[in-house]
Amino acid sequence: MVSGLFIGAVISLICGLDRVAILQVMVSRPIVAAPLTAFFLGDAMVGLQVGVMVELLWLARLPVGAAVPPDDTQVAIGGTTLAIILGERLGNAGLELVLLCLLVAILLGKVGQYFDHFARQHNVRLAQKVDAALDSGSLLMAELQHLRGLGSFSLAALGTYITIITGGLLIIPILLPLIQQPLSYSSSWIELALPLVGVAVILGTVNVSRAITLFCASFGMAFLLMWLV
Amino acid sequence: MVIPRKTRVYIWFRLLLLQASWNYERFQGVGFFYALLPGLRKVYAKEELLAVSRKYTGYFNTHVYLAPLVAGAVLKLEEDHAAGKLEQQVDIKDFKEMVAAPYAAIGDALFWGGLRPLAAAIALFFAVKGILWAAVIFVVGYNLVPAWFRTVFFVHGYRRGIKSVEFIQQHKLPDWAIHTKEAAIVVLGGLSAFMVFSHLTELQLPSWLGMLTLIPMVMLGLVARKGVSTLLLIFITVGSIFLLGLFWVDMTQLFIMLGMDL
Repeated sequence: MVSGLFIGAVISLICGLDRVAILQVMVSRPIVAAPLTAFFLGDAMVGLQVGVMVELLWLARLPVGAAVPPDDTQVAIGGTTLAIILGERLGNAGLELVLLCLLVAILLGKVGQYFDHFARQHNVRLAQKVDAALDSGSLLMAELQHLRGLGSFSLAALGTYITIITGGLLIIPILLPLIQQPLSYSSSWIELALPLVGVAVILGTVNVSRAITLFCASFGMAFLLMWLV
Repeated sequence: MVIPRKTRVYIWFRLLLLQASWNYERFQGVGFFYALLPGLRKVYAKEELLAVSRKYTGYFNTHVYLAPLVAGAVLKLEEDHAAGKLEQQVDIKDFKEMVAAPYAAIGDALFWGGLRPLAAAIALFFAVKGILWAAVIFVVGYNLVPAWFRTVFFVHGYRRGIKSVEFIQQHKLPDWAIHTKEAAIVVLGGLSAFMVFSHLTELQLPSWLGMLTLIPMVMLGLVARKGVSTLLLIFITVGSIFLLGLFWVDMTQLFIMLGMDL
């Protein structure tokens, strides 16, 4: 269990940095981060399941200007880690457990926005230190201040991950026995609904005229083709 | 002094760390200074270098994939300025600030608003089918375009200097952003239909029921347009389905009981 949590933390750190601070090659997207985590934890399919459910949820929330979108990276990694670790511990790797882990991660993942906010706030001090370094004639010190910003974003990513994992490990073992049976009646529908909610939010917020018309036409056509074939 | 090719490559790599110290006061300002510094070192001597460096640590914010274009152009302008070739009326700091905001708007619409949903929707087709390579397909498919922009635009920015603005205009990126968003909507429509159809087939329910999915989806979209948070929409949807599931089971059991009694 400890090694699993450690692997999750390492992936959370790498993907968390990709999200804002370095590269932006999108390994931080849930469709990548969740299967990656699950692959290293030994059950890649759980990650794929989580990735599909989370990927579209906040895709419409763009990281524009000072806006901080919800941390779907840590939600995906935390949800996947919880599902696999608790699946082994509770002897249950069913869809109900995966869904419960994900819903708890979504709820607790909200704190990720606050951690991200603190990191960006803290980095203001680094910018002031850059000024001081230049005043004292040290370009090297000024460069180092910039790199120290990576520390703030690393702590923000790990803070969110630890919150999700700690909360999940405390809540889910208590909640699962109470909710597993009732959840089993609707789990497959919830699994379908989550990505569709994401699509609906994209439809509602995308800046394209006739977005709903285009979507309905495409949906109808694809549906008809599948029905006919 | 011309900035050597090796230094420009080094600057390109440093631009990958542009947002390492992103903050609410100066956004990417410190990162932009950090990326340009090896080039500025080649152009200016000690005291002048410090003075020029201060110019770049202030506010700067543009799209991360289009920042190399600005960086390339600024390096060229600094190089010309140091060589005394720059026209007097050109202020490099003003140029940097003037182009940053429009480039940010173009980049946000094209990459975050268009390309990312499109790549995600395509990759999700594979993921829904249970193909693990979906993650690789997403990363490779998505990054081909930003990698091209980061490299080619940096080269052209450095080559053209202030005329890099004309270069970006030639590419009609705002039009591409709209086309990409439209393509993403169409693919998302197909993906949604595929997911709904597969689910109904798996449960052996009549396929035509799937067309009804459009009603709640459009309704949710309209609610989202009003500014209702995604988190709230998620929990309302999940809660409703959960309660409907319980209701359905209870009703089924009731009918069975009534049937037995009858």
